[in-house]
Amino acid sequence: MSDHLLEEQELNVDVLRQAIQEEYAEVAANPEKGFHFHTGRPLARMLEYADEWLAGIPESSIESFAGTGNPFSLGEILPGERVVDMGCGAGMDSLIAAKKAGPDGRVIGVDMTPAMLGKARRTADYMGLTNVEFREGYAEELPVDDGWADVVISNGVLNLMPDKTAVLGEMARVLKPGGRLQIGDILVQKAVPESAKRKIDLWTG
Amino acid sequence: MAAGFVGFEITWRKDVFSGAPQAGSAEKFGTLGINFRARKAIGEEEWTAALTALSCNVPAQSPGFSQRRV
Repeated sequence: MSDHLLEEQELNVDVLRQAIQEEYAEVAANPEKGFHFHTGRPLARMLEYADEWLAGIPESSIESFAGTGNPFSLGEILPGERVVDMGCGAGMDSLIAAKKAGPDGRVIGVDMTPAMLGKARRTADYMGLTNVEFREGYAEELPVDDGWADVVISNGVLNLMPDKTAVLGEMARVLKPGGRLQIGDILVQKAVPESAKRKIDLWTG
Repeated sequence: MAAGFVGFEITWRKDVFSGAPQAGSAEKFGTLGINFRARKAIGEEEWTAALTALSCNVPAQSPGFSQRRV
């Protein structure tokens, strides 16, 4: 098939999801491997995470952190609040949110990558946290009830979703009226050609 | 902003990809990490007001503008 015909093809969402899952399963299993993005504690420092937020969170969670921003810099998570972490990965942000929300609050981390969810659940169990749970699901179909959350956080995930309108709609659905969106993500300063948007390796790299 | 959000604001931006272990497409597209926030409108009234505020008025005719057909 010619390059031209390949470029004419629509982006296959299932193939994209598979590629993203494979990439982030590797971040879960081999975080020290080295990727096209920074990871772990050095990244958290670069993104201005306070040391006190990370206190008590095991390195097994921090090492697989792969965010692009800092949702907690955008507003305090208050005691008793309900938080959804969309694309929670190995759970570092969910665990920080759980610490901030306290025993009267609740956090639901959602991710589509089983390897990341396994790591997040093991870490929460190790920490003895009972106010956080991790659910498998897609950002376009969040497994969370309507109007449940005070805050939706996410970090480096929205850019991986081809249908951003659907994802924002889901975030709005799970938020209470007046609920907050606190997102770390990316922006591009140069236009991405339509043909490039259909190339899976550009989404993951 | 789509989906009923108001108060959209980007608060921070930074090159968070430089020096990563593997080369990626970030440099090619000038990719930056950002933080942004917004709030779900409290109700239809606030959402409608936000949409109204987004509309802009273009002057019907400004000095030096010729109304030729294209």
